[in-house]
Amino acid sequence: MDAAAELVGLVGVGILLSALFLQSESFVGPLVRGIALQSLLLGVLLGWLAWSQQNLDLALLAALAVAVRAVFIPWVLDRQIRAFRWRLREVHAAQRVTSHALAAIALAIVAWFVFQETLAGIFPQPGGALPFVLLVEGLLMLATRGNTIVQVIGYLEEENAVVYAGALFAPHFPLFVEVVVFLDVLGVVLVGVILSIQRDVTGTLEQGGLEELAG
Amino acid sequence: MITSAPQLALLLLLAAPSAASLLALVPYGAVSRVAARAGSLVAVGASVSLLVTSASGTWGPYLGVDALADVLLFTVTSIYATSVWYSDRYLRAVHRPYLTPQVYYALLSAFAFTMIAALLVTDLGLMWIGIEATTVSSALLIVLERRPTSVEAAWRYTLIASAGLTIALFALLLLYTDTGTLDANRLAAAPPALTLPVLMAVALALVGYGTKVGIFPMHTWLPDAHSESPSPISAMFSGVLLPTALYAFLRVYRVLGTPVPATIQDLLLAFGLTTALAGAFLLQRQRSYKRMFAYSSMEVMGLALTGVAIGGIALYGALILLVAHAFAKSAVFYCSGNVLRETGTNRIDEVRDLRRQMPATGAAWVLAALAVTGAPPFGTFLGELLIVAGALAIGAYWIAALFVLAILVAFVGVNGQVGRMVFGEPAGGATEPSRRADAGAGIAYLNVAFALALGVASLPYLSAALRGAAALFGGGAP
Repeated sequence: MDAAAELVGLVGVGILLSALFLQSESFVGPLVRGIALQSLLLGVLLGWLAWSQQNLDLALLAALAVAVRAVFIPWVLDRQIRAFRWRLREVHAAQRVTSHALAAIALAIVAWFVFQETLAGIFPQPGGALPFVLLVEGLLMLATRGNTIVQVIGYLEEENAVVYAGALFAPHFPLFVEVVVFLDVLGVVLVGVILSIQRDVTGTLEQGGLEELAG
Repeated sequence: MITSAPQLALLLLLAAPSAASLLALVPYGAVSRVAARAGSLVAVGASVSLLVTSASGTWGPYLGVDALADVLLFTVTSIYATSVWYSDRYLRAVHRPYLTPQVYYALLSAFAFTMIAALLVTDLGLMWIGIEATTVSSALLIVLERRPTSVEAAWRYTLIASAGLTIALFALLLLYTDTGTLDANRLAAAPPALTLPVLMAVALALVGYGTKVGIFPMHTWLPDAHSESPSPISAMFSGVLLPTALYAFLRVYRVLGTPVPATIQDLLLAFGLTTALAGAFLLQRQRSYKRMFAYSSMEVMGLALTGVAIGGIALYGALILLVAHAFAKSAVFYCSGNVLRETGTNRIDEVRDLRRQMPATGAAWVLAALAVTGAPPFGTFLGELLIVAGALAIGAYWIAALFVLAILVAFVGVNGQVGRMVFGEPAGGATEPSRRADAGAGIAYLNVAFALALGVASLPYLSAALRGAAALFGGGAP
């Protein structure tokens, strides 16, 4: 394996480790910094791919990953937490964080092997399984965590997974920059608008206390 | 290339709702309402002209229509128009709305624009953007009534729908990697080899777009968002948003050509029947009538997906079902809005004697409920009958049996509860009739009448377009 492929694989492993860290953390502050780090690593990876392939779209995606998901959204989330004087630890996840981490590792292994058995021959790029693992980890976070900010982090992780997959497998995917801009707009809407409304109307950022939506 | 008249219609379809959305923000008198009404009527006119001219073809690299798009454009614009006209009285009754009327109408028209745009583009990537944009434009409409439950519903909707659409984007990445294009027409004209990435792309698109369609088990946002939205928005969610998301899946599905591989057909059947049965049984235990109707929409989407999977005459039936259901379900939600406005409750147990209290709304609700559950002679009945006939024609008896079971369970559940609310005796004695409470019921009657017409008459242009749409997938009319 050449040095460039090793670098791509190494940064990919860093992204995977950041995903596992997010699953095992119940304090919201470190979770926000964790997704910022993951987005920064992805930005570095995209920047490297853009430089090595002379691909302007990938360069724009790298800039978006850093500017929006590594800096802007984490900054807004941090302000949301401080402004609300809200406890800095997710209530429900704190009691079962070990099981979350174990499930995340098990899922990562399963997703890795499923990729190797099905698509590895078609997508032989180094670290090709990592975007699929990241997608599964993001879905797990969305499905199992009850706190709104943590769910936003799960959404951002999914977005990172899609961008990662696109950069590795289909760097010339048409309108990819526009698609990612749209995902980022949705992320900002989620963070900036609905979080504020939720805080105004319900007075909490914890989900699950609203029994009316049952059945 | 398509000729100039359809080009003008395409232009109007995009321009009218977007202009209405921008004009609605003008903070002056009734400008927002008038702009929305004018925009919706222009959009309906443009979609009707596409139907009348049987418009089919492309305009530039990214825009185009065919029979399927024509049918759904007509449906979307019609429900957009009726929702706009119904909204005025509904908004006046909302206590402390979170959105001003200007913002409400601007978002409503933007929501319609995003659905229309998704139907008009021929590039699967742009279509994905259109479907994703429906989430952005509609999420805030859910919180109009400022209830904590509405906020939670908006949150779940945005998050779950977006998570699903991320999977749909993965599907498009796989498809592009294998075929090198996302042009839906090119892919349909020359279907690619059925490689593993292509099959996985279709399966993932089913899961991804299926989340927005309300396919089990990714449906959890649907009952929340439909029941917590203001009624005109519930009508648009149930009537046209779900079919628009299904349309996006159908465009990917069409890449497979005919015959469809058995693995994908089985997958569609499994998801379709499970969704129909889950929706039919889950609606039985609902305490809120709007949630009950939301699960009914989920059941109908399952039935339609089953029809698509069976193909042939059943696919034609599925398209009729989608159109008839859009009109009937929007009528149901307009009536629900009247009932909610008058009684102040969405609980089934607390609503009785509507036949005296709100005679026009009560009668329209009964008719609309019969229509959405496939009672003859409504268009929904015709659609469901054709799907059953299609299943029997290919010897899929157990599929037909499960399909009929879902229909019967939903029919008994919905009509039983609506019957209790309309004809049931109130605990505190007879109630006084209120003509004011029936305002807006006329729009419900109009939509129910259209659902009826689809079942009893061969509507000019629309019937031809439905046949043409089914033919795109190898399906056909009897």
